[in-house]
Amino acid sequence: MESQQLGRTPYFYGPEGALVQVDFALEAVNRGSTTVGIRTNEHAILASYLKPTRPLLDPAEKIYQIDQHLGATGAGYIGDVMKLIQELRVNSQKHRLTFDSPIDVKTASEDLSAYLHQYTIYAVRPLGASVIITGKDPTGVQMYQIDPSGTYFRGSGFSIGAGSDRSIEIIQNGYRPNLSLEETVKLAKEAIKSATKDDNQVELGVVSNSSSRFEKINQVQVPSSAQ
Amino acid sequence: MTTIVGILTKDGVVLSSDKRASKGFFIGSKVTQKILKIDDTIAVAIAGQVSDAEYLVNAVRAERTLVSLQRGYPLSVRETTKLIANIAYQGMKSYQPYFAEFIIAGVDASGPHVLETDMSGALSAENFVSTGSGSPVAYGVLESGYKEGMNLEQARVLASSAVQAAMERDPGSGNGVDVVSIPNSAANEIIVRA
Repeated sequence: MESQQLGRTPYFYGPEGALVQVDFALEAVNRGSTTVGIRTNEHAILASYLKPTRPLLDPAEKIYQIDQHLGATGAGYIGDVMKLIQELRVNSQKHRLTFDSPIDVKTASEDLSAYLHQYTIYAVRPLGASVIITGKDPTGVQMYQIDPSGTYFRGSGFSIGAGSDRSIEIIQNGYRPNLSLEETVKLAKEAIKSATKDDNQVELGVVSNSSSRFEKINQVQVPSSAQ
Repeated sequence: MTTIVGILTKDGVVLSSDKRASKGFFIGSKVTQKILKIDDTIAVAIAGQVSDAEYLVNAVRAERTLVSLQRGYPLSVRETTKLIANIAYQGMKSYQPYFAEFIIAGVDASGPHVLETDMSGALSAENFVSTGSGSPVAYGVLESGYKEGMNLEQARVLASSAVQAAMERDPGSGNGVDVVSIPNSAANEIIVRA
């Protein structure tokens, strides 16, 4: 408190023990576009809502190829998301140079988690972005979510961004481990629609046990108003 | 000095070495162990400066442990070899090379592997390989004796006779033969997490 009055270092902990800056960063993520990830026995998909842009403006890319076998998406400040995507891409190539093998999803996630954690212990602005990473490695198809605090979760259903409370509920209710790819895509779109009331502008990426390549699915439909 | 040999078979891998440590024209030791265990699935045969070789093997053993703890499954034989090659390459480029050559043999989720790396950091996968001062003699035996489809026992015999032959004609090698074989069954399966 004293240091605050001196107007130099910002505070880290609030009186309740919460990392105040990190909580604000999480709030920034909650303002981002709705983004989901669903993993089944056979495949995993990432889906992100593309916010409608004004005419003559191409929608931003939201699903990112990280490496042949890895993909990611994010919600929050797009500049911060891009920084994390770049970090993931660089780490994936570093791993190939060091080990002569593709990075596993857990290591990719933990590296990013450690990177984000650095922003929680110094007097800097924590990045206002969460990412969902998915990919195929020797342990199968895996999916992780990483938050601004550096916390990461492994799991089969994730939702971040605006309305994520509603969309995660849709995923939890509709999830089965043996969903087909079409059903998974449908579920992801439903989840996004529940939060945005619009499922036309969704970008998708998929990775499966059989192909072991992460690929974007181009399903961005032209909005009906423009037809 | 030294003769070391590695052979790849469909059933696993074999390493063999002599036991002589030379100090110039003097035999420094007659009971040197030149095949080092990394874990139950991988072993390394070393030739050259013992201190350099052991340093690299110890460093890689530590790195392997850290990586498998982090990602939850062990490094493959190739990944392990690459770690040794990386350090060797850095050494060469900074004019403080590690005077050592390595034959790395092991089994992993993708099967048995024999790889070789040296002080330049070059890395190659081989069906059979030999390094050290006795290797020209050992290669004579390996070239005529190696057959595709050998079993582990046949490979053990071939590897030790290659080292034996080298010990007969190379003054840098001698004092007995060590043989180590690792069967495919030793490999750790990667547990696919649901």
